[in-house]
Amino acid sequence: MSAAPGSARWLLAHELRLAWHGGGLNKQGKRRPALRTFIFWAVASALLHLLAFFALRKLGGHMDDAFLAIPVTVMLVVCSTFMLSSALTGCVTALFERGDLDLLLSSPLPTRSIFTVRLLGIVTVTAAPYLFLAGPFANVALVLGHPGWLGLYVMICACAMLMACAGMLLTLALVRVLGARRTRVVAQVLAAVAGALLFLLSQAYNFMHHGGDAGPGLLGQLASQSLFGLDSALWLPGRALLGAPVPLLAAALLAGLAFALTVGRTHRFFAQGVQEAAGAGRAPARPAGAPRLRLRFRRSLFDTVVVKEWRLIARDPHLIAQVLLQLVYLVPLLLPILNGNAVGPALGAGLTLLCSSLAGSLCWIVISAEDAPDLLLSAPAPRRTLQLAKLAAATMPPLLLVALPLLWLTVRTPLTGLLVAFTVCAAVLSAGLIVLWVGRPAPRSDFQMRGKSNFLCTVLELISSLCWGGLGWLLVTLSAQDADWLPFAAAAMLAGALGVLLLAWLLRRRPG
Amino acid sequence: MNADSPALRLRALRKSFGRPAVDGLDLTVRRGELYALLGPNGAGKTTTLRMVTGLLAPDAGDVEVLGVDLARDPAGAKRGMAYLPDDPLLYGKLKPTEYLEFVAGLWGIRAEDAEPRARCLLDWLDLAKHAHELTEGFSRGMKQKLALAGALIHEPELLILDEPLTGLDAAAARQVKDLLVSHVDQGGTVILTTHILEVAERLAQRIGIIRQGRLIAEGTLAELRARTDGGTLEDVFLQLTAGQPT
Repeated sequence: MSAAPGSARWLLAHELRLAWHGGGLNKQGKRRPALRTFIFWAVASALLHLLAFFALRKLGGHMDDAFLAIPVTVMLVVCSTFMLSSALTGCVTALFERGDLDLLLSSPLPTRSIFTVRLLGIVTVTAAPYLFLAGPFANVALVLGHPGWLGLYVMICACAMLMACAGMLLTLALVRVLGARRTRVVAQVLAAVAGALLFLLSQAYNFMHHGGDAGPGLLGQLASQSLFGLDSALWLPGRALLGAPVPLLAAALLAGLAFALTVGRTHRFFAQGVQEAAGAGRAPARPAGAPRLRLRFRRSLFDTVVVKEWRLIARDPHLIAQVLLQLVYLVPLLLPILNGNAVGPALGAGLTLLCSSLAGSLCWIVISAEDAPDLLLSAPAPRRTLQLAKLAAATMPPLLLVALPLLWLTVRTPLTGLLVAFTVCAAVLSAGLIVLWVGRPAPRSDFQMRGKSNFLCTVLELISSLCWGGLGWLLVTLSAQDADWLPFAAAAMLAGALGVLLLAWLLRRRPG
Repeated sequence: MNADSPALRLRALRKSFGRPAVDGLDLTVRRGELYALLGPNGAGKTTTLRMVTGLLAPDAGDVEVLGVDLARDPAGAKRGMAYLPDDPLLYGKLKPTEYLEFVAGLWGIRAEDAEPRARCLLDWLDLAKHAHELTEGFSRGMKQKLALAGALIHEPELLILDEPLTGLDAAAARQVKDLLVSHVDQGGTVILTTHILEVAERLAQRIGIIRQGRLIAEGTLAELRARTDGGTLEDVFLQLTAGQPT
């Protein structure tokens, strides 16, 4: 039975339809055929059920073990933090980026219904991936005779509801304290940082020297202490997830209460937040008697372009956070290197990879994501000067960033320092040239999607980074030890890096 | 630059996107006149202007700006020209002063020339009090005015504007119109496209009407009236374009 138009249920259905269509968009922004989308998700779900079956069969008779509540609680806390990150993103989207709130708030629908539905939409979007990934475990457990595990569904929904409420309250509080314009940036950065911190924490476990028993050992130690004992209230979320009725009911009630209170207490402020968001970015005009205009016209076109690019990047904290977070996600790549004993070669490879990646990102922002290409094309400025200035603007920050470590390395071991400096400079320049030659124009907001939207450029950048990184490793190793194969391997890496550069040049985009 | 040459001369200009957008267009705009290029939607006005400003390469034909062949000396041709697109893209994270500094740099204007000009433009366009704000928070009208200030910072002889009055309030539209008239009074040339026919009627010394990429009529308002049954420019336009919507 379809809901009456204008009712809260009708609005919720509309919200879910939009979320479904949003999830079904491909990288070109076109909707995938519904059948193909359905088959994709069905196959993925079947595979997850298979995975869950093998995992739970390995767990065997321990599925109802009280001890299990401890790791399950820890996982739930970790997931909750990810959920908070996702909910914050959802709240920022709901408040600042979706353009439909003016339409909704100007309709006869009560503000309360609109806010309720919008918050429920955030809850659904927050919970959906976890339900999809963890749901198969509950289903398989049910088949294996452990119906208590169905509590997983309730707990994920309760957690998503709590985190959505927390995210909305945090966003609205930030609007009140910081104003809409800053809130948008702060919430986006917070969401990204929350995700990245947890990612690093998860990698820290792998980074530790242990034989795979550090986790169970730590949990065992926890369980032996009175505060963290098996009966501790701290593990109630885990027990609820595994089907203990009272904690499960309490969690569901708590989430429901939080939702009702959030809606009841803040729906008016939500409307106010939307109004503030509409005026976001509008700073009050400078009052009379303010200092005179300061203009700093430069003589050189090169300087003008470099300064303009740096200003644009420096004033976009969200973009900076995204760039730096990309580097955070490179850390696992470096862990095996840094975990070894060869610190010199590891530094060579690590610094080269990091700088190359940073240069690639900045070059994309500066060159491919130019905001006003028509202005540059219609100006009499030499194209080569503009390109050189943009290349310099993008490559200088990573080089400045590693200048100090390189100096330290050069003072300690001059040959190693010089070799690493060579591979870092070459990698940075290569990354810049690849983006310059094969990068496709795109808006800055597509930064996170740049890998998908310009696959060729991303692949060439990656291969180039790996080749220069490998060369850094090999050259530093070669400077310290003598092995017959090292010069050949280094030559192969150099040939690979130069080959990629040559390929990028051959595939370069001609000016239209 | 040749002072005797027209401000703009197009010869047999062609551009096709599957079907012809501009189809052998011949057009001459004299120095010191305000020329309005009119036409129905999709007639090829914006494509023509983009080819004139070097943003789009023509399939065939010549573009001569202030006596300089655009294909042979693009930088020379662009030096005396400014283009204001219908939806100018500014840098959201720059302040108006910084935007003007950047544009002045692109045109290679000396600091001592650019600075007083920038102050004057910001004051005149009522942007001085917003000079310390980022342009991402500007209204459509303020953005249009800032883009216009950017177009004028290097004192171009030829000013090309694509729908310059779209989205402007009455006061801002008046300011822009005054500015265009003043530019022509000082010897400059203005070429504009507009769907607001009253603007063309009141401001333009000559009017060109294009349809399907071809110039179908050109002249002063009186000359165009004489070719048709008379009436307002709207009547003339509708008769010449056979009732196609603007």
